[in-house]
Amino acid sequence: MTMATVVGVRRTRVTAASLRLAFLQFIADPQWLVPSMIAPVIFGLVSYELFRGAGPYFLTYAILGAGMMSMWGQTLYGSGWATGQDREFGTLEPTIQAPAPYLYVVLGRIVWNVVAGLFGGLIVYVVVVVAAGGPPALPNPLAFVLLFLFVMVTLACVGIVFAAAYVYTRFAGFIQNIGEFAFYVGTGCMFPVVLLPFWTNPIALLFPPTWALDALRYVSIPGYVGFGWGWGWDLVGAVATTAIYAGIAGTVFHRVERHVLEVGDLSDY
Amino acid sequence: MSDSPAIEVRDLVRVFESRKGFLFNEVNRTQALKGVDLTVEPGEIFGLLGPNGAGKTTLVKILSTLLLPTSGTARVLGHDVARDADWLRPRIGLVLGGERGVYTRISGRENLRYFADLYGVPPGEREPRIQAVLERVDLASAADRRVEEYSRGMKQKLHIARGILHRPSILFLDEPTIGLDPKSARETRKLVRSLEGDGVTILLTTHYMFEAEELCPRLAVLSKGRIVANDTVDALRHRVGGDRTIEVEAYGFEDREHAALRALPGVSKVASEEFGPRVRLTLRIRTLETTPAHVAALLPGHPELSVRERRTSLEDVYLDLVEEEAT
Amino acid sequence: MATALASARPAEPTSPTFWRTFWANAVLAPRTSLGFMRLDFVLGTVFVIPLTQMVFFAFVVQLGGGGASAIAFTAIGNAVATVSYSSVFTVCQTTDNEKTLGTMEHLLVSPAGRFALYLGRGLIPILISLATVAVGLTYAVLLFGVSIPVATFPGLAVSVVLTAFAMVGFGLLLGGVALYLRTSIILGNIFLFIGLLLSGVNFPLSSLPPALQYLGDALPLTWGLAAIRAAISGSALGPLAVLWAAVAISGIVSIGLSMGLWDFFERRAKATGSIARF
Repeated sequence: MTMATVVGVRRTRVTAASLRLAFLQFIADPQWLVPSMIAPVIFGLVSYELFRGAGPYFLTYAILGAGMMSMWGQTLYGSGWATGQDREFGTLEPTIQAPAPYLYVVLGRIVWNVVAGLFGGLIVYVVVVVAAGGPPALPNPLAFVLLFLFVMVTLACVGIVFAAAYVYTRFAGFIQNIGEFAFYVGTGCMFPVVLLPFWTNPIALLFPPTWALDALRYVSIPGYVGFGWGWGWDLVGAVATTAIYAGIAGTVFHRVERHVLEVGDLSDY
Repeated sequence: MSDSPAIEVRDLVRVFESRKGFLFNEVNRTQALKGVDLTVEPGEIFGLLGPNGAGKTTLVKILSTLLLPTSGTARVLGHDVARDADWLRPRIGLVLGGERGVYTRISGRENLRYFADLYGVPPGEREPRIQAVLERVDLASAADRRVEEYSRGMKQKLHIARGILHRPSILFLDEPTIGLDPKSARETRKLVRSLEGDGVTILLTTHYMFEAEELCPRLAVLSKGRIVANDTVDALRHRVGGDRTIEVEAYGFEDREHAALRALPGVSKVASEEFGPRVRLTLRIRTLETTPAHVAALLPGHPELSVRERRTSLEDVYLDLVEEEAT
Repeated sequence: MATALASARPAEPTSPTFWRTFWANAVLAPRTSLGFMRLDFVLGTVFVIPLTQMVFFAFVVQLGGGGASAIAFTAIGNAVATVSYSSVFTVCQTTDNEKTLGTMEHLLVSPAGRFALYLGRGLIPILISLATVAVGLTYAVLLFGVSIPVATFPGLAVSVVLTAFAMVGFGLLLGGVALYLRTSIILGNIFLFIGLLLSGVNFPLSSLPPALQYLGDALPLTWGLAAIRAAISGSALGPLAVLWAAVAISGIVSIGLSMGLWDFFERRAKATGSIARF
């Protein structure tokens, strides 16, 4: 062996490698998709049952809400959970020790989880539609699809920042379990945030998915009144908050990495 | 490479804090390293010995940029490990070993592909280099099997393969042969020697004294967070009282016999150890004047007296040093 | 003395007593699960999860046009359903932790009686489950307009205790199955939430198709929740006792089945080598 000439590590290559690893691990054990599917499917069916008789577009509420929960679960938490597994399997140390920025490792997992989340959303859709006996009417399919894809981007950006918590502490998974419902409530996953006490609204607006989901409801539920400023401003808010999350992700990861090197608990789980 | 030391550690301290109790009430502080000084020259295999909990892994983690020092400085290849981690990481190989640390649901080859990408191994070289490294650690035939099917020794080989995959200038090997069968352990030592031939600087921690003696011209003994010895094996032998050892066994000795043995020329130390009804005296001897015959002559009338001479082993040196530190 | 104690000379084999095994597993084993290791996390499970889950469904009901009685119904249902976190999910997950930490094999070769071992593991989860339901019902009263007359307290207390017992028994049953599986997380997740649909948590069981109602009847949560609702509504002792018997039977059957499954899957796991796989 002769010593190598050191070359920079390309970020796209790191992300691609991480995406590939996530895919291979999924193929090796696909049952791991199930846990993230259970709650959304059940919540979708329960909500459908509770909404039944309330009006023709409440099926859309149930599908959108449960579908979002599936994608949120997969995208927001799935990536962080993978880091938790890195801790458990002892692979976090060699990964952090590698010259590749860990942020881009997480990014690869996020991309995979977006795909898995979409698949999960599709399953939720099929189950709830079968239970309801038919699909809901979609007034503006093109706008829906575009906004839907945009929602995924917002989720991915929040997911990156959330994943930093899993690097920060081995207790992140447990904290996430406790806070999961609070997040679903706070961001109006299954119902408009405006139903919540007014003081919670500014907190909800810190999360890009709140804006994006509000916009999505505007284009898919006729007569929907969310925040009242229309889907255009929702979109502006979503883009702005997403940009903030994307912008701070690098700094957050850098600080978190520094913290764990100070504490020295990378191999704890 | 510059003429600066490959590793230079000055007054390195590392304190761990653990919190216990409701809402982080109780904070326990453990000083894992208490002012460590160490220098390793480029291209050498340097051994780091020490009992469990001495701070070896902590030192390795600091040097490999996985842990920040509490105070003091640590420089690797002339760069500060805390400030220049980004510069150092592509130049460092780390083998922590053990059952964990590899992705068990995918194959060994896929593990290496992943880390090759993370270490920026040139894309065109990736596959041939993975194959070469797998062959070098004798894992090529199992490369496409899931790691969860690997034995402990095979996982250890995979750890080593990952450590050298990107051809680092400096390699940290934390107990590389632990859990390996004798044949695999011998192959691993052979591999380590061959890496030295490639000009790689190696810091090796181990509990196996024969391994350190075989591989490391220089070594340090770390005990309770402090370096208690740092030299060549021969110099360390001299430090603990000589490179000759005479062991005498009988059913007990009198105080005057102890004194007489201590008075023999060149005897620097006499240690006594009981095992069952027998007592063993271990004499460290600096010169050639005192022989087993001289010793036996001082102990007449002992039934089943046994006197034998051997070379002071590194294990003797190590145990003496650790005992010295403990007292 | 120390030498004698440290001697490795083979001794007459002894097996731990029932109570010793029970106590060791009651006190030590739950600490292998992350959620039980820290008091602040236990408090999170007891105080935060019921509140957020109740709020979530209350708003769903409100959006669907449900009135105060529908919100109270769902509040009671979710106050009780959150018991699944500390009983079903965490107890089931203990098996995973044992596998990950490599302690499962040592547990299986120990001469400890499996019945005592299993019952012991249920003790702390039962206590946490009791606390979870109590806190959930307090939220229901304070925030969701549920009325629980003082006179119903004794009947309610019996219902809650039996529900906690039955749910932990069910968690132990799933833990036994998880011995054979690569992981218990999937099973734990399924039964963490399935009750929300099949146990009459958010709407009466009669709204479901008959096949799903039968499935719901197989879950201890269904009977526990029915008993708690009956107690709160001031049901007479006779019908209440029938529900108590049903809850108790579901708990006893769960524990009995878990023992049988533990034995069966222990053999299967040994045959397939899945004990050390996770």
